[in-house]
Amino acid sequence: MLGLIILLSLIFYIFSIVVLVFIKFRIGMKLIGAVSILIIGGMAVVFLIFSLPAFEKFGVGIFFSTEWDPGAERYGLANAITGTLLTSAIAIAIAVPIALGIVVFINEILPRRLAGIFGSLVDLTAALPTVLFGLWGLFVLGPALAWAVESFSNVLLQLGLISEPLYTTRTSLLTASVLLAIMIVPYAAAVIREGYALVPKHVEEAIYAMGATKFEAILIKFRYIRNYLFGGFFLALGRAMGETVAVAMVVGGNYYTFTINPLDSGITLSSLIALQFPNAFGILVPVLYAAALTIALIGIIINTVAIYILYRGQL
Amino acid sequence: MRRVINYLGLSMFVALALIGVAPLFLIIYDIYSRGIPAIIELGGWSFFIDIPPSPFVDKGGIGPQLVGSLYMTAIGALIGFAIGFPLGVYVGEFRKDLFANVSRGAVNMLVEFPTITIGLFVFTLLGLMRQDINPVLENIGDAAASVFGEGARYFIGPLDYYNAYAGAVALALIMIPYVALFTASAYSTVEPQLREAAYAVSGREYNAVFVVLRKVVARAILTAALLGTAKIAGETAPLIFTAFGNNYYGEFTKPTAAVPLWIYYASQTPYESLIISAYGAAAVLLTIILAIFIIARAVGRQI
Repeated sequence: MLGLIILLSLIFYIFSIVVLVFIKFRIGMKLIGAVSILIIGGMAVVFLIFSLPAFEKFGVGIFFSTEWDPGAERYGLANAITGTLLTSAIAIAIAVPIALGIVVFINEILPRRLAGIFGSLVDLTAALPTVLFGLWGLFVLGPALAWAVESFSNVLLQLGLISEPLYTTRTSLLTASVLLAIMIVPYAAAVIREGYALVPKHVEEAIYAMGATKFEAILIKFRYIRNYLFGGFFLALGRAMGETVAVAMVVGGNYYTFTINPLDSGITLSSLIALQFPNAFGILVPVLYAAALTIALIGIIINTVAIYILYRGQL
Repeated sequence: MRRVINYLGLSMFVALALIGVAPLFLIIYDIYSRGIPAIIELGGWSFFIDIPPSPFVDKGGIGPQLVGSLYMTAIGALIGFAIGFPLGVYVGEFRKDLFANVSRGAVNMLVEFPTITIGLFVFTLLGLMRQDINPVLENIGDAAASVFGEGARYFIGPLDYYNAYAGAVALALIMIPYVALFTASAYSTVEPQLREAAYAVSGREYNAVFVVLRKVVARAILTAALLGTAKIAGETAPLIFTAFGNNYYGEFTKPTAAVPLWIYYASQTPYESLIISAYGAAAVLLTIILAIFIIARAVGRQI
């Protein structure tokens, strides 16, 4: 019954858009503009309603419990939340300097023609399907990182800095973080590039007139566009937290133990949903809806912050 | 001393930038260097038609996956464009409305939204509606079968929990904000004189916005449609709960296969034949994405 109501109202909505665009143009366009708000609102409401049983059973403690016991049907999201925060923090730490390097390389160093080609390469990185990143991470990056960690630990052992060898497998939080860093660089770079192009010519000339070297000029310009830097930072953070498939392939799927060691395998919120939902039953289903609600809310908050920072001058 | 710091700093930026794009080449090299031999090993041209290999069968292909991907991407791109384009026009053209700015914020948010939640959303909605609409769809399916023959049942009929149409809707939801943002930025670059001329000659606001100005930004919008299509052709996460995947040719109203889904599932199995088929599928997918991307660049360059 509920489904029929939703479907009928959807049909009525589309019909009224089509009619109103021809009769009352402005109102019709407003209805179209409401589509994006309705999708986001609809998602939040659906996830909230479907996750209610989980909140009834576990309360707010679901966010702080590290328990994951399918036998006793006791679940907590703390492992996944920690994994999400950890991977995206490492990813951001790697990605932001690289994004800055790309922006400088394109705008200051390369000649115009080559800059266009280099920019296309960066855009292409953003256009590649995430599952291809996952495939590469699983069979190339993961083993390479495991080897790198092993040789690094051997060096440290010989220097006597550590007593136990470091050990990791090809699927770990570290692999997921590095892969995420590679994937979010283009998004951060795109936002920062947009801001970099907006530095007024007279400001640039003033910087050089003070006798600044190119490197100093770049640093001053970065300070000038700092709201774009922070905007790009938050947008990339949002991407990193929401990325699913590539992370699910390399993160290792460790639901059971709480870890903050990036060399261990772990789990993130979105990969938890991807890996568990297809065969979930009982109370696990609402728990996973709660996970979806969490990433949706995190996404909304981070993007609101990013949009506020970016458009502070414009809105 | 300052000159030394200058050179050191600049070369640091260059090195970082090169690190940033190096993975792109590594990924493309890895996928082609393993994918092309995989396609040859699994049966050459028949790779594009056959059903996938199993742990016990060495030969096979990605035929059902290609068909499913093509079908869902086509429907998803059509729906996504049909909604995303007017949405982008609204967001880009009526910047002074407060509501348009709210809507712009929502579009910006939607483009960043974790794609897995969109798949879950569509799955949930379909679960709510399925019971109510299936009797109707069954009648429509019977009617279509009596008019067009039994083949029509492949396209319409009662929906399973997982089906191609849910996948297409999920893909469309991913595409809407992409097209909308591209369209909005294209519309906001139209020069004011041109805009006033358009409003002056076309009489109705609808004509001005959708007929005259559309021609001005046609190329940018074509680019947006192409890039959006490339984006959804490679999406995996929203399909996990909506199309689900399938190893055989089958009705689109039942679980449907898709190339990215096959790569996702097959690469995580321990079987050699499945892993190399995943690489073959990856090479095919990469070729499709590269082709669309290059076409989109070529179209966009002539703005």
